[in-house]
Order: sequence, then structure tokens, then C-alpha cells
Amino acid sequence: MELDRWMERYQQADPEAPAVLVSALSPGLLRFFRSQSATPGQAEDLLQDTWFRIHRVRHTYRPGEPVLPWIYAIARRVRVDGYRRSRRIDSHETALEVLPERPVEGEPRHALPVFEALVAALPEAQREVITMLKVGGLSLEEVARATSSTAGAVKQKAHRGYDRLRKLLRSYVDAAGGGQ
Amino acid sequence: MNCQDINQAIVDGSASPLPPEAEEHLRTCARCRELAEALKLRAPADVPSPMVLHEIERGLVADLRPVRPIAPNRYIWASFLAIFAVITFLGVYYIGAFAIDVKTPLQMSAILAALAFSAGLLAYSLMNQMVPGSRYQFPPGRLPIIIVISLIIAIAVLFPFQHEQHFWAKAWWCIRTGTLMEAIAAVPLWLVLRRGAILAPIMTGAATGLLAGLVGTTALEVHCPNLDASHILVSHLGVGVLGAVAGLVVGWAVENRKLIWRP
Repeated sequence: MELDRWMERYQQADPEAPAVLVSALSPGLLRFFRSQSATPGQAEDLLQDTWFRIHRVRHTYRPGEPVLPWIYAIARRVRVDGYRRSRRIDSHETALEVLPERPVEGEPRHALPVFEALVAALPEAQREVITMLKVGGLSLEEVARATSSTAGAVKQKAHRGYDRLRKLLRSYVDAAGGGQ
Repeated sequence: MNCQDINQAIVDGSASPLPPEAEEHLRTCARCRELAEALKLRAPADVPSPMVLHEIERGLVADLRPVRPIAPNRYIWASFLAIFAVITFLGVYYIGAFAIDVKTPLQMSAILAALAFSAGLLAYSLMNQMVPGSRYQFPPGRLPIIIVISLIIAIAVLFPFQHEQHFWAKAWWCIRTGTLMEAIAAVPLWLVLRRGAILAPIMTGAATGLLAGLVGTTALEVHCPNLDASHILVSHLGVGVLGAVAGLVVGWAVENRKLIWRP
């Protein structure tokens, strides 16, 4: 789907454009918020806030520019504001350092945690980068744009994040008795 | 392929499957296999409810009207620089250019070049901060700090440190005049900025305040015949630093206005 074309039509007040953009981008945005430790209810609130903020500043999208960095830069800011509002930001800035509980009955004993639970164990900055890369489908350059950073810095954070995930996964598998 | 190559492949092609040559390594390396498996996105447990999506769409359509996309970057950058140049020129015109006869050509050209370059960088950073998802060459949060440190070094190298009497009495006039120009410059800068989407008010406030402050600093550099490095640092560059701090405080207040006004 050509998101940039739909963004232009949205700026021109095409009544079809909001529905197309909302349905195309909302699942990724919701997953982005869920991966950032928001509850399902909070994530839906953040999703709504994001779209209303996108609507207010839609004139700042430049036709022809990539849409995803523009969207995720706004979503990122909404997330920070949302946490500040709920006065829970401090607890979310700290990495959990441990992986979540192991799978419940019915799943294999060595089953790996789902992506959202996995990245919850990472520090804020690494979690954000990996979520944008994996869930949002952004490139390194696009994540750099969305986070007001440089591609080199994003790459470094992603490498560190994946290294940390390897270690956490190994300890998780060893503890579950599924290691080699 | 080794573990490092797998990491690289995951980072470079995050949204795509791993390349075929990775399969052989994955067969022999449990750690990489676990990571690759864990990063496979399964069907999300929760998707946005149709009711929420409908509510969002209804809200957007209700207020749908055509908007004109923001001006191209070069116009925004030129606007910031024009504000900087015009108010500096008017300031110098009003208070006089007495430093030209006292400073050496090297001192004058070097300090003015450093100030103009700093203003250009700040204008560039502000231009990017107005549009979400812009490409950054310099980290916008650190830029004001880097600029202030660079200017401190430039002043310390270009001008001698002298022990002058009535330091604060002489400094006060410069600080007061520079701050007035800074306040005047802040108004048109804000008028340009409000066309954009300011996502990080603290960072943008500090950069805007410093740019407005550099208007005062530059006008004072052309006006003030005092060559003491301490005087220039405190009462000329100090105006810029005061502007950055004021912008930072305003940005903080904007960012936390809901917390401030709520009991």
C-alpha cells in the first residue's frame, strides 16, 4: 500500500483516507505500545491519542517523504506523554532485567516467550529500537528519523539489544531444561 | 556465517526473514536459533477493537478539511536566519558599532564567523525539529551544549583575560541590552516554530532560546569595545546561555502544563 499517497489524500481532505490509514497503521502502532509495557487499555488510549495528534499536525507531513518515521515519531512522543500523565514513567524507564514467567500448561516446557514479553526485558532505548524495527517494519534509517537519532546510534542500540536478548534467552532455556 | 553475522543480518533486515545462508549456522548454534525463533512475530494477542478504530475514524472525518503542507526546509531555515540577521542588524544600528575600531580584523571576523555558524546550526536543528521524522546530522539535544562549549573556547582563545574594575557594573548594561534583543528575537522565532509540530518542547525551547540569545551576543560583539575575555564570556555569551535556560524552562512548563495545572 502506498502510504505516502494516502497521506497526501488525507491532507487534501479525501474522506476515504482516514479509514485506509487507520486500518493500515493501527495494528502496528498498537503492538508498538503493547511492546512498550502498556496494558491493552492504555495501548488503545495511546492509539487514539496518537491519531488525534497526527490529525492536528498532518500539515507537517511533506509529500514524498517516508510516512512511517513521521508516524512513529509522533507515536513515540504520545507514549512518553501518556506515561508522564499517568505518573508511571519512572517505573517504565527501568529495564526488567529478567524474562517473564514461563509458559502455562499446554505449551511445550521450552517454548520461548512471545515477542512483546521478550522485549519487555530490555532497557527502554533498546526496546524502542527493536520494536520499531521488528513490529513497525521500519529500516535503520527510518528508526533514526523517528527517534531523532542517527542510523549509527540506532544500529549500535539494536546490536546491544540483540546481544542482551541472546543472553536472556539462553538463561531462560537453561532454566526451563531445554538447553543443549 | 557466525553469530556476529547473524546479529548483523537481523539488524539489517529486521522486517524480513533471515537469508538462506543463515540456515546452516542456525542448525548448529542453539543461541542463534533461539534468538531467530523468539523474534518471529506470532499473531498478536490483541488487535485494535473495531469500536476503537471506528471511533478514531469518526473523529478524524468529523474534522477533515484540506491543509497546506508545511513549507520546504530551505524556506524555514532561511526564515530563522533572516530573523537572526535582521534583529542583529537593527540592534547594532540602535546601539552603535564601537567594537569595530577596537578589535583586530582576526578577532572580529573569527568571532562573528563562529556566531553565524552557530546560528546556522541551530536554525538547521530547529527546522528539523518542526517536522516529525526528520533526518538529523547532529543530535538535537546535545547541539546547544556543544555550541556553548565551542564558543567559550573560541572566546578564550581570541581574547585576553584582564582584571578590570567595576566588572559587574560594566557587565550589567551588556546583559540588560542583550537580553532585550533576545526577547525581541524570540517572538518571530516562535511565530515560525508554531507552524511545525514540536514534539520535544524542552529540547526545542533550549535551542530556540539559544538562537534568540545569540542575536544579543552577536550585536554586543559588534557594539561593545571591551576586550576582556571574562567580560565577553559573562555578559555577551551569558546572554545566549540565559536565553537557552529561559527556553528550557518554558519548554519544561509546556511539556508539564497538565501536571502543573492539575492538583
